[in-house]
Amino acid sequence: MSKKILLLSSVIFLSSCGANNISELGDKFLDLINPSDAATEQANLGGNETLVAVDEYGDASISEIEELKSLSDDALIEMAIAKGIDFELDADGNLKNRDDLIKAILENSAALAILIGDFEGSFILYFSYDDTEIDDESTSIIIEHAKFMQDNPLVNLRLEGHADERGTREYNLALGENRALSVKEVLGLYNLDDRIIVVSYGEEIPVLAGSNEIAWEENRRVEFSYY
Amino acid sequence: MKYFKFILLFNILLSFSANALLEVNILKSKEAAFPIVIAPFEITSDLKDNVDIAKIIRDNLNRSGQFNALSTDALVSNKIDFDFWKEHKKDAVVFGKIEQVSSKVYNIYIYIYDVYSEKSLYQKKITVSNSGFRRIAHFLSDKIYYVLLGQKGSFNTRLSYVTVTDNNSDGRTYKLQISDSDGFNPQTVVRSSNPILSPAWSKDQKKLAYVSFKNNRSEVFVMTPFMKTIPIKLPKFDGIASSPSWHPSGKSIALTISKQGNKDIYLYNFKSKKLKRLTTNKSIDTEASFSPDGNSIAFTSNRTGQVQVYIKNLQSGKISRATFDGRYNAKPVFSPDGKDLALIHKVGKDYRVALLDIKSRDLTVMTRNKSDESPYFSPNGGMIIFSTNRDNRGILSIISLHNNQIVELMQKTGEVREPTWSNYSK
Repeated sequence: MSKKILLLSSVIFLSSCGANNISELGDKFLDLINPSDAATEQANLGGNETLVAVDEYGDASISEIEELKSLSDDALIEMAIAKGIDFELDADGNLKNRDDLIKAILENSAALAILIGDFEGSFILYFSYDDTEIDDESTSIIIEHAKFMQDNPLVNLRLEGHADERGTREYNLALGENRALSVKEVLGLYNLDDRIIVVSYGEEIPVLAGSNEIAWEENRRVEFSYY
Repeated sequence: MKYFKFILLFNILLSFSANALLEVNILKSKEAAFPIVIAPFEITSDLKDNVDIAKIIRDNLNRSGQFNALSTDALVSNKIDFDFWKEHKKDAVVFGKIEQVSSKVYNIYIYIYDVYSEKSLYQKKITVSNSGFRRIAHFLSDKIYYVLLGQKGSFNTRLSYVTVTDNNSDGRTYKLQISDSDGFNPQTVVRSSNPILSPAWSKDQKKLAYVSFKNNRSEVFVMTPFMKTIPIKLPKFDGIASSPSWHPSGKSIALTISKQGNKDIYLYNFKSKKLKRLTTNKSIDTEASFSPDGNSIAFTSNRTGQVQVYIKNLQSGKISRATFDGRYNAKPVFSPDGKDLALIHKVGKDYRVALLDIKSRDLTVMTRNKSDESPYFSPNGGMIIFSTNRDNRGILSIISLHNNQIVELMQKTGEVREPTWSNYSK
């Protein structure tokens, strides 16, 4: 999940070879997007009640760009602020021009793609059971990342915390956030707080399926993704 | 700590409609169940959409653990051979008939007789449209349960749960579904390519709260499954928002929100749109569950370094630790009478459903599984539904608190998890 934005940016950049410029490419992509979202379906529940389904995505083969498009205004605004991209709000506090902002985010990502490609685009740090401690070796790796961010002020970092399957889902969601936060704490010493987003997926997105020690070790992790 | 012994294992394969939950295993206990007969209903017309009302009722009553309900080869009419049933040690006989009134309208008659007194305990005629047969079967199951046990049943109710299916190379599909209490009639109310967690019914069943990652972070939404409205997003700060639990009044909802990294439980009031902070500890506080009177919350916290369950009295503000057995107790949920908590308890390396008597602090481990999750009481308090793992697949399990009988429900493909039980249907 975390790699999607990064992936998206590389896809745009690579495919831009065939287009005149990135912004033209952005236009082409945006034209492909179907503006009608929030599809609903109705079903009969035995009696006279009508059940309404909320479709969180319209198309099963949703592309990364559609995913960006599917984000709420809030999420887009959050992203724009993080990237230092200007945007306008209307009187109701809604985005004035979503499509332009999405385009700007795509361009911004494409520009960063080369830069991040020089460094480790994604990096994973592992943890012990029900633990958020970072050992000395991990600390020195995090410091390398801090230096990279200091040298490249345009780059932002998303820290995604995960847990293994053991224990309850909601507790693991909290635990995953604490793992990502303990990484952020180290980076915070380098005044990078404003450029870091912390999210948690708890035990929901394991990298390795299975109920054994090997899978659990792989799944207790914080993923670094630059954007 | 006590363990119950299961003595029999039946594998039962039932025909089931597409994607309905399927009963796969019944683990019976030694404890006696009420022996009764539920004869097939006599049908006095051509009924095309043949819903077997008697079978639905038998399955319901057997799932409760309170009954051993059998069928008969022949129809039973008003001339009941009581001596025969006495000989076969049946305590009650239930039979009925379905009579067509017009193209879509039917009269359903039901009769309940006590075998030993040879007296009628209950009889009723109900007029129903053919689309409501399943609902009537659940309604009649509750009637029989009440007539024979003097307690409310939990059959005319709904379950909600999350299903997960792998789409080969293209990620997963998560569905928030609602079904009848027996897993039939499943309906999808939210569908997403991102995880869905923690569904929670409001007591009036008009609203479902749930956690969605559709914006690539955990957020709590409230949707109205029977009305076409856009799901509303509950407030959050800079971190996770999760773990919704309705106040019994439906006017407010408890949820876990992370603020500057500190995860605490807050109460969101729908009218004032304001958040009230219920816990302030620096550690993880999450998984709130309201007591039936709305005066307390039980929740999970690692404030002592261990994961344990606490109860906060919302009137006095006092927080007290509820669990003392073992090093991991989490995800508490109050029983409908408020006296017990069902929770997840770690035994050795395994996570199992346990029942905690709040007053005496007695903890009873209810299963022998490896990874139980998300226990939830039936509205009459007679059963607990939870999710567990069989052959690396998430399935649902229903345990009877009468005799610890376990019924397991699974989907044909994919996982099913995070069940909750609705209140009584209106």
